[in-house]
Amino acid sequence: MIVDRRVLPHLDWPLLAAVLGLTLIGLATIYSVTGNIGANAPGPEFWRQLYAVPIGLAALAGCLLVDYRTLAQRSVLVYLAVIAALIAVLFFGVVAKGARRWIDLGVGSLQPSEFARLGVALMLAMWFGDGRRNARSLADLAWGGVVVAVPIGLIFFQPDFGTAVTLTSVYFGVIYLAGLPLRWVGVGLLAVVLLSPVVWMWGLEDYQKGRVITFLNPERDPRGAGWQQIQAKITVGSGGLFGKGFRQGTQGAYRFLPEAHNDFVFAVLAEEHGFFGVILVLGLYLFVVMRSLEAAKLAKDRVGAFLVVGIVSWFTFQVVYNITMQAGLVPVKGLTLPLMSYGGSSLVATLAGFGLILNVRMRRFTN
Amino acid sequence: MAPRELDPLQTDDRPDAAFEASWRRAFRRRLLLVAVAFVVWTAGIQARLVYLQVVRHPHYLDVATDQQMRVYEPPAKRGDLLDRNGEVLAISVDADNVTVNPRVLKDVAATIQDLCAVFGDCSRTERADLIKSISAAAANRSAFAFVRRGVSPAVGARVAALKLHGVEVRAESRRYYPNKELGAHVLGYVGRENNGQGGIEAAYDSTIRGKKGRVLMLTDAKHQAVQSRVESEPTAGATLELTIDQYLQHIAEREVRAGAERHRATAVTLVAMDPNTGEILALANYPSFNPNTPGAFEADLRRNRAVQEIYEPGSTFKIVTAAAAIEEGILAPGDLIETAPGYIKIPQRKPIHDEHYYGAHMTFHDVIVKSSNVGAIRAGWQIGAERLNRYVRRFGFGEVHAPDFRGASGGIVWRPEHLNASALASVSMGYQVAVTPLQMVAATAAVANGGTLFEPRLVRAIIKDGVREIVEPRVLRQAVSPATAATLTAIMEDVVVRGTAKAAAIPGYQVAGKTGTAQKIIAGQYSSANHYGSFTGFVPARRPALAVLVVVDDPRAGGYYGGVVAAPIFQQFSEAALRHLGVPPTVSATTPVVVQETPVVPARYATRGAADAARQIRQVDGQLLMPDVTGLGAREAMRVLTRSGLTVRARGDGIVTTQSPAAGEPVDAGGVTYIQLDRVRPVAPPGGRQ
Repeated sequence: MIVDRRVLPHLDWPLLAAVLGLTLIGLATIYSVTGNIGANAPGPEFWRQLYAVPIGLAALAGCLLVDYRTLAQRSVLVYLAVIAALIAVLFFGVVAKGARRWIDLGVGSLQPSEFARLGVALMLAMWFGDGRRNARSLADLAWGGVVVAVPIGLIFFQPDFGTAVTLTSVYFGVIYLAGLPLRWVGVGLLAVVLLSPVVWMWGLEDYQKGRVITFLNPERDPRGAGWQQIQAKITVGSGGLFGKGFRQGTQGAYRFLPEAHNDFVFAVLAEEHGFFGVILVLGLYLFVVMRSLEAAKLAKDRVGAFLVVGIVSWFTFQVVYNITMQAGLVPVKGLTLPLMSYGGSSLVATLAGFGLILNVRMRRFTN
Repeated sequence: MAPRELDPLQTDDRPDAAFEASWRRAFRRRLLLVAVAFVVWTAGIQARLVYLQVVRHPHYLDVATDQQMRVYEPPAKRGDLLDRNGEVLAISVDADNVTVNPRVLKDVAATIQDLCAVFGDCSRTERADLIKSISAAAANRSAFAFVRRGVSPAVGARVAALKLHGVEVRAESRRYYPNKELGAHVLGYVGRENNGQGGIEAAYDSTIRGKKGRVLMLTDAKHQAVQSRVESEPTAGATLELTIDQYLQHIAEREVRAGAERHRATAVTLVAMDPNTGEILALANYPSFNPNTPGAFEADLRRNRAVQEIYEPGSTFKIVTAAAAIEEGILAPGDLIETAPGYIKIPQRKPIHDEHYYGAHMTFHDVIVKSSNVGAIRAGWQIGAERLNRYVRRFGFGEVHAPDFRGASGGIVWRPEHLNASALASVSMGYQVAVTPLQMVAATAAVANGGTLFEPRLVRAIIKDGVREIVEPRVLRQAVSPATAATLTAIMEDVVVRGTAKAAAIPGYQVAGKTGTAQKIIAGQYSSANHYGSFTGFVPARRPALAVLVVVDDPRAGGYYGGVVAAPIFQQFSEAALRHLGVPPTVSATTPVVVQETPVVPARYATRGAADAARQIRQVDGQLLMPDVTGLGAREAMRVLTRSGLTVRARGDGIVTTQSPAAGEPVDAGGVTYIQLDRVRPVAPPGGRQ
């Protein structure tokens, strides 16, 4: 047994409880929204998500029990495995909704891009955590950038813009905490502002431009591209203080809100459980993020700290973007809400990530 | 068991304490920044949620309800219209509407193809039109379009069985008039939304329409209902029992058509009223229309001329003049009036002539009988504008007094202060006053019944929820005293006996009436070629059962006088009607019922009431079987036989003693049957009253 029993008392039970709580709330919401009113039963999405939970817990346990330093040492192997899977997707992947994202495993399908974040987080933790490498060195930054750019490129080809963007969040999160000079951040922002017209003209697909325009003025095409934006606001707004009740939501169940069990699961929660239900969930997310940041702070070494930072970065980024999107404040993107949205690979990868975070915190006293 | 080489604290190039402290400090500072940013974001999102879920909650709730709730109002069954004997005049049958949701149709052309295969009678253009209009609706993202309305439930069921995506079949009720044109103007018709348009259908729309139900439907984003709640079931409308007698109506329509064709008239109107109650027994206009397909007829054909057309009544209006003179004691029937020299001169006006020169003086009685204009004008001048106008009003002219008729005109009656001598002369002989046929027949009925003006009515009873509520006759006012009415009746009897309306005489019955012939105004001038020929009368004169008015509009052949064109129609109609109503003859009548000691009718006849099953026409394998009518009165026997379309030839009077064919023998629809009636003492059914 590779686990030293002395570390187990240091397991962060509250964080684990909060993570599982969010998973169960997500599961219940999927149960509610996919259920057909006539047949008193949840849809197939619920069952698939339910099967993903034990797999995710197993992944969490696995990532928790093996010392993170052992994993970090083998991070190159993990990374290469992920890259290989991503290449395999491009050749053997299953096409759905216009994108080639999944590998059919027979018993279910696997979305390797969800696991790419774990591989990237491990690689970056190793890169910046080992020795004195830091984000003040352009060479170190560039090497870190390459680590991220390769999977991003592969994911772009699927195409899956949203997941690719979350990979950059891992990179930016890590280099920021690795001491990236704030001056450089300013320069980067300036470059973005200056380059955005260029990107707009030549870099964006029409459907992507449409999303931005629609966000700025959803009424322009209320039945078309603005539909999700408008319906999300209606869904959230019609919930009120106390909500319509479990399985009483209408916006999602009657397909007014597309992707209700997926990208817009938070809106359904807001509809069914109202403002107070949402406050509970927001509180849980706040707790999870704060507790994870604390884990980063308490980490015994730089590898652990950066590993936690990398995972928290994409988790936080997705939570912030997804919820802000459902509140109608940013353009609609295919970004899921971690732990709650439908998606087995996402759930397993996220739980595995929390396994690593718990791992780092649990082993803060070992040497 | 951390690998040694990875642990900075244990490796040889262990970072010094200074490096450890410095990166941790920076790291913690930046972590704190991230944490603060996240807390700020959380607060911001909560503020946004308060805005969406608390401040704007009512708005978004409305929007959500609007897009999810649909109200469907299932139509109520429209009440039936029956004639006074319970025969069906209008009925509502179940029908289905076939509709589509263009937004969810995948292939419009294929769907139409499938539907047309079920309908079986789509023309090529109809198919093309449907595809075009539904495609257009789909382009507009419309969620609803009709494919066909009012298909039979059988076709609707077959469409539903196809289970085509996006195709819906919805129950609707459709109006059906089994007798086609019969009583079209009385009944009116219904529009596409089952709303009454004209006639009883319009006047009593709120009564017979019933109440739509209300179903709340929760729909999904594709407008498919996912849940529905019945808030209220539709309530069927009330059934109306009309005063119309289907048989009389049929006779009336036959006679107006025959009259119109005989005289090549633009239009003929006949209104028959029960003078004792104001009930309209028949109301016929020619030309007419078929209310099953109102759209196929011009609006003018759908107009009920009997209440919507106003005409100058001419000499029939002299009844009013005479009534005023007699009631006011100005003239007695025997008073002489100067009628020399056969015409009368009025300043700034062409002289007004009588038809013939009747001599220097006439009695007032004869002025009416011979319809002398000169005499009537002199009488009118004696009465005076104010008094004459009072009687015009008393008889109901110038007012809309029949709420059962939709769109009824009140006619035109000048105010007395506007009547100078010339105008007064005109009114005295029925010009410069415009009336509707319905007003004229009501006035005639008032004379017939002893002076009481009844409201002309079409509805005899309202049957709702199985309760039959009888509509009582409504007396509008006493127009003239019974004595005056009796005097007028005597004069009007003479009109038929030796006056202008000999053609109205009905053998065996005393008839009272008055003819009228009025020039029509064409292009602002009285035309000598266009006329209204009319006759109004009642029968039997002393115990009236019928008051009938016939107006022939613009007869172009076979004369134009009311006595020539209108009186025969009256005569034809009334003769058949009297027989149908079983009114005994009044003139040279056979001696009253002979009381015979021994009944010649076998007792079995009388033991059966008219409602007995043997009395009813039966059908066996599509073959009509002759019912047993022996022992019935003429009227009952006629009703039983004519109900199934048999023609009856009756001989004698009393009760039916022999019939041919015999009971139970096969007869053909429309075939002729013979009945022999004899005066025998009826035998009361066992247990009945003697």
